[in-house]
Amino acid sequence: MTPLLEIKDLHASVGDTPILKGINLTINHGEIHAIMGPNGSGKSTMSYVLSGRDGYEVTGGDVLMNGQSILEMEADERARAGMFLAFQYPVELPGVAGMSFLRAAVNARRLDKGEDEID
Amino acid sequence: MAATLETIETLEQATGKYKYGFVTDIESDKAPKGLNEDIIRFISAKKDEPEWMLEWRLKAFAVWQKMDSPDWAKLDIPPIDYQDAYYYAAPKTSDGPASLDEVDPELLRTYEKLGIPISEQKLLAGVVAVDAVFDSVSVATTFRDELAKAGVIFCPISEAIREYPELIKTYMGSVVPVADNYFSALNAAVFTDGSFVYIPKGVRCPMELSTYFRINEQNTGQFERTLIIAEDSSYVSYLEGCTAPQRDENQLHAAVVELVAMQDAEIKYSTVQNWYPGDENGKGGIYNFVTKRGACRGDRSKISWTQVETGSAITWKYPSCILQGKDSVGEFYSVALTNNFQQADTGTKMIHIGEGSRSTIISKGISAGRSQNCYRGLVRIQPGAENARNFTQCDSLLVGDRCGAHTVPYIVSRNPSAKIEHEATTSRISEDQLFYCLQRGISEEDAVSLIVNGFCKEVMKELPMEFAVEAQKLIGISLEGSVG
Repeated sequence: MTPLLEIKDLHASVGDTPILKGINLTINHGEIHAIMGPNGSGKSTMSYVLSGRDGYEVTGGDVLMNGQSILEMEADERARAGMFLAFQYPVELPGVAGMSFLRAAVNARRLDKGEDEID
Repeated sequence: MAATLETIETLEQATGKYKYGFVTDIESDKAPKGLNEDIIRFISAKKDEPEWMLEWRLKAFAVWQKMDSPDWAKLDIPPIDYQDAYYYAAPKTSDGPASLDEVDPELLRTYEKLGIPISEQKLLAGVVAVDAVFDSVSVATTFRDELAKAGVIFCPISEAIREYPELIKTYMGSVVPVADNYFSALNAAVFTDGSFVYIPKGVRCPMELSTYFRINEQNTGQFERTLIIAEDSSYVSYLEGCTAPQRDENQLHAAVVELVAMQDAEIKYSTVQNWYPGDENGKGGIYNFVTKRGACRGDRSKISWTQVETGSAITWKYPSCILQGKDSVGEFYSVALTNNFQQADTGTKMIHIGEGSRSTIISKGISAGRSQNCYRGLVRIQPGAENARNFTQCDSLLVGDRCGAHTVPYIVSRNPSAKIEHEATTSRISEDQLFYCLQRGISEEDAVSLIVNGFCKEVMKELPMEFAVEAQKLIGISLEGSVG
């Protein structure tokens, strides 16, 4: 069975500063893993690199989701493929109602799968 | 000899009477280029206007010639050659595309994105299709009957000049005098068409009036002139404009809109403007220089302006309210979006004259690309406006780092009992906000549209439903290519 997530020798930097220096991790379907470490060890960086946030440069290695490399994918593509990041400090979008946002997110996924949008 | 007779006959057919000695070819589609007294007579004759209307135009023209073009705005306007334009062009009837297949596919793509139904698309694209024309004629006829039953007059202003001269003489130019500014003087001289609306006492207009349904067989919208009169205790909601991009070879659109609200009357005027904004390099595009003003003449009268301006290369307008009546109310809700190289200098003037008068100003400016967006507002409290109140909120949103947002608010209070509140914010679409949307699967383009629409919510909810839905989509489309 293909692992859900495979991180292979991942290296990543912010600007000139290397932060991830060769991470290896395999997560199979149904497993829950907790990553722990002291402040500044690169936990948040790893989450951001996985989710595809701007400002982080992958300098080596690969990340596979269900056997498919995701490093070439944009953040929203990865999200639709199944990557979900819970934010430490939730972001507020002024004037955007919760329902509107949920609808937009759900419809983005549905369109991607070729389904109809819902109202 | 025969040629001259022919010309005379054609003239008579076209105008009903042989008025003036000039021999310009009236049956042609366009007046000759340029602006002079003859052209004004030509326009007046084409519209079969009474003598007094022509006199009014000629006086306005004389006034205009003595004025200079204003240059105080934060706008970079290339010099306009007023002689290098046609001031009258006949309706485009038989030269349109035969079907939607012949229409510019880019235009059709926009129509589709805006969710405009096919029959309306045909009408907008000028497609000569029997079914579309028939539909609009029959629909408009049904409306006219319903309006007539209520006593509401809704017709082109050229018709009103002929049919309701007393109303025109009383009200036209009473809110925006001819000499008010350079463009109002020009408009008074050469206005081509526009709407006339009259709501009798106590009548609540049974439906929303829209320029789309006023059969404008003239379709020469270059210098529109609109006049709306609401008698005591009446109500009307008027929608102007179109979400579909209006390409027009006429570059200057200098319209004048006058609203008059009597005691306890209310006029709601909504505009969605999407004139051709020029290309991504700032070449071409319409100049939208408009004077709009509402007079709240009666006690407890109310005028609300709601506008969504996304088009035009240059937008220059200040829909305003003169709050004469006691406890009269003026409102201004605006979204002005500029992208690429567009420019906007827009806002409002609230002039408080009556005791207890109140005004609300909510302005949302969105700048993207390399555009410049300026809010310019005036809140003026006159000495007699006891206990007047104003609330102003102007917010700017910058998309990208090459655009500009400016605010020029004027507050002039000559009565110490006035309460004036002013709030302003400037913000950007933060990276955090964008990333949050992306991480939830929403594409960057949709994310910007979502965030911007959230930003504009307070204004959008003032728009009539059909307009609001289209306007939201329009904002999304207008921001295309603005990120990255």
